[in-house]
Amino acid sequence: MKGPMFFDSIAVAVDKERICRRLGYEKGATRLSETQEREAGRRIDEAFSLIQLKGSALILGLNECGRGKVVLENGIVFESADLSAMLKECGQVLLMGATAGSRIIPYIRGEAAKGDLSRAVIYDAAASEIVDSALDWLVSYFNQKLLRENKRVTPNRFSCGYGDFSLINQRKIHAALELEKIGVKITDSCILDPEKSVTAVAGIVSAAD
Amino acid sequence: MITKKIIYNLLKKRVLILDGATGTQLQKIGMPAGVCPEKWCVENSDAISSIHKAYANAGSDIIYTATFGANRLKLNEYGIKDVAGINRKLAAIAKKSAARENVFVAGDIGPTGKFVAPFGDLPFEEAVDIFKEQVRGLLKGGVDLFVIETMMDIQEARAALLAVKETCDKFVMVSLTYEKDGRTLAGTDPLTALITLQSLGADAVGLNCSTGPREMLDAVSRIRPYAKIFLFAKPNAGLPRLKDGKTVFDMDVRQFASCGAALVRAGANMLGGCCGTDPEYIKNLVRVVKSKKPFLPLRKSISALSSGRGNIIFGRDEPFCVVGECINPTGKKDFAKELAEGKFDILRRLARDQQAAGAKVLDVNVGAGGIDEVKAMREALSVLSLATELPLAIDSSKVEVIAQALRLYPGRALINSISAEKDKLSRLLPLAAKYGAMFILLPLTSSKIPYEFSERKKIASAVLAKALKYGFTKDDIVVDGLAMTVSSKPHAGIETLKTIGWASGELGCQTIIGLSNVSFGLPKRQWLNAAYLAMAAREGLSMAIANPLNAELMNAVRSADVLLVRDVRASEYIKHFTVPPAGDKKNTDEVFSPGQRIKDAILEGEKREIKDFIALALDKKISAQNILNDIMIPAITEVGRRFETKHYFLPQLIAGAEAMKEGLNYLEPILAKQGGGPREKVNIILATVKGDIHDIGKNIVALILKNHGFNVIDLGKDAGAQKIVARAKKMDASLIGLSALMTTTMVNMKEVIDLAKKEGLSCKVIIGGAVVTKAYADSLGVSYAKDGVEAVRVIKGLMNSK
Repeated sequence: MKGPMFFDSIAVAVDKERICRRLGYEKGATRLSETQEREAGRRIDEAFSLIQLKGSALILGLNECGRGKVVLENGIVFESADLSAMLKECGQVLLMGATAGSRIIPYIRGEAAKGDLSRAVIYDAAASEIVDSALDWLVSYFNQKLLRENKRVTPNRFSCGYGDFSLINQRKIHAALELEKIGVKITDSCILDPEKSVTAVAGIVSAAD
Repeated sequence: MITKKIIYNLLKKRVLILDGATGTQLQKIGMPAGVCPEKWCVENSDAISSIHKAYANAGSDIIYTATFGANRLKLNEYGIKDVAGINRKLAAIAKKSAARENVFVAGDIGPTGKFVAPFGDLPFEEAVDIFKEQVRGLLKGGVDLFVIETMMDIQEARAALLAVKETCDKFVMVSLTYEKDGRTLAGTDPLTALITLQSLGADAVGLNCSTGPREMLDAVSRIRPYAKIFLFAKPNAGLPRLKDGKTVFDMDVRQFASCGAALVRAGANMLGGCCGTDPEYIKNLVRVVKSKKPFLPLRKSISALSSGRGNIIFGRDEPFCVVGECINPTGKKDFAKELAEGKFDILRRLARDQQAAGAKVLDVNVGAGGIDEVKAMREALSVLSLATELPLAIDSSKVEVIAQALRLYPGRALINSISAEKDKLSRLLPLAAKYGAMFILLPLTSSKIPYEFSERKKIASAVLAKALKYGFTKDDIVVDGLAMTVSSKPHAGIETLKTIGWASGELGCQTIIGLSNVSFGLPKRQWLNAAYLAMAAREGLSMAIANPLNAELMNAVRSADVLLVRDVRASEYIKHFTVPPAGDKKNTDEVFSPGQRIKDAILEGEKREIKDFIALALDKKISAQNILNDIMIPAITEVGRRFETKHYFLPQLIAGAEAMKEGLNYLEPILAKQGGGPREKVNIILATVKGDIHDIGKNIVALILKNHGFNVIDLGKDAGAQKIVARAKKMDASLIGLSALMTTTMVNMKEVIDLAKKEGLSCKVIIGGAVVTKAYADSLGVSYAKDGVEAVRVIKGLMNSK
């Protein structure tokens, strides 16, 4: 059985504007004083220094895809019309998981508990955005590898809990990616812990497909 | 035998042409999907041979062996153990195919697929060992040179380069692959890679794959001024994109070739093609560039340092460099304890703070009692390689610590330091030379710290002479001016200035001092340090080991840079001294009324002073009720309006709400005393529903509702229907607010609503959260708000209609 590939250190650049956009910033409309801009920048830098991005990924063959059902080569079955629609042109799938690690979480909670919600919300948004960009990084990594095989990862990806892709699938992905090895646990209600952890499924298309 | 010299001589005469893509060509001629390409090539030698021949016939001067994935880790995936054998056979096939005169065969080394420590879990020495195995096989097959290609991890490129250099003396090319943002996936930019790899002994550095020639043009132009070795580019046939489910490249043969000419003008000495190219592309490339005269490397040497993700260039016109001195456990008990325990939180913080304060290099010293210094240095370098992009100075008195650090550091380091102490000198110079490090030359001997400039000059000259024999240039050396305290030797400062002037002028080296030594034993040392730094800068001082967190020092650095034309448009100076308009605020404060100041505090989210402003307003006989109704509530409403019109983003909304909350906490007891009584409270139960742990949005809503006088009972996250309904019943709540982030958990809202109905609760329900929509709320027969500001409006409406 194929095992996942682990990434101990994913290096992403901090896109402050993207983080601010997540917080409702709109270029040309939102007016920030220099102090506020500096403050936001500093908080984002602080958040970044508390994050160590790790990841896990696994390419699997797609045995069956259609009618709301996706069957992978290792026997995993996903019941989701949205997902099967996204994967309909694909020969393989890329399962991905990434985590910001646990160091940032007490800071988010601590600031919120201290009543400094504005700092907490910036930490929170920064961590969410940064862990999301780890998935972008994984896609770029596999695109680089797959280029020589004339294959590409689909630009879209799907995460559990969105559309009709039930959160219950998180458990299957968590197990397949052996996320425990990068410090990510899963709760009874299929929530990843540390909280700033994500998984996703993307497709792989090739000239042959 | 093809020596380095033969290839150098050819490169001086003309642009050499590399081959094009191999992987996609193999697929075209029938290699099935899913097989091991290297094994398939051995078993189908005619097929790979035909590709080699086609490139040689198209005009390639150098063809790559089909050994891109022929390393132990990748071959093991297919159960192949004979790594050296596969490499030997494929090299021999390439040699045989390239039988035409002057076609060289480059032993191709690709990535293992794993990231190397500190960027990944593959130990550095294991990586070196893996590549050595491949190198030995390729040598047996008769390759003429080596190419390390498509590296995205600079540390893996270093490991492969060391593997070649520790095995043979062949010409080595190294190319990394850069994303559209101009960095490798591990975050290295082309200039940083050039500085690291050319100092480590690569003969040519380049770029391949990922992007097309247009994207590479800019990178080649930018790195050329700093290159002392040859440059090369092997781009894809444009950018890859998906078209009807197939990968296509956006550049035809002609466009690709014309970009090749531009790449030569930019400074590329070797050109070829990567994914999407074929012999036709190479043939056209040859046609276009064959008459072009190559540009030779511009430099013989360079003063520059690099990390895995950044670099610094030194020179008389470059800004002054502060080498942050704070990573040193001497006198820092907590830091020493952490290092001994293998913890690195303080280390990370020291790195972050010094970088933010303007340090350009970080000195790393982890030597203290009870610490295994070799281990601590190794771990500190791992942590710092991820925590900062600043290059590092390896500061240790132990040769073995420096040796380990230089081998593992994923950049070009600065050694702090090498003196004339005989034993250390003879051990450290070859080490520094092998890894291409810069070093601080400390002009002292084991028996003497010279006081006078003339003695320092003599010692420095002797060390320099020895260093030159190891292949160092003056650009690689940073002479320490030996700053001594003026409190015990009044002329010490002058002697050091003379040393700096001589070393930076007549000698032509970079210079450094341990700045704070000069002021030791005197009060208000920061002023002496700052003044001395400005004087030394005038003498040509390039860098100082100092504390960048000292404001006076950094002010002096920025000022000296402007005055010595190292910051031509004073842009760094202006940036440094552009401070938040606190001074202006002080003046305007005087003209503003207390009411205006309360309002501004809420609008600007300034919670620290709001209580004082309220006290001031009360002193001016404004009633608590008026402060609340006429000043604070309109102000927080305005904050909400600005958020809704996007003039504010979320942190501004929250900061305003927090200032309001701080003001209310102060004001409410006074309201009660003044007889206004507490505001009429409406009880609201708020919760994030079962299965959902995302509660920050709900917390913001709670804060804003409290600001508007609602009594919020927050049940937190992952709250079950029973708990929510029971509490609503107990508190006689007027409203239940529910939040969910995910589609899969928002369905749990219905459970709460159904239970509330079943229990006969008459309270209203409002829902919200990232995926919740008005349509969904309508389907449940409840109210909806997209954020806290809207929630206030909706709830007020609901309460009024009740």
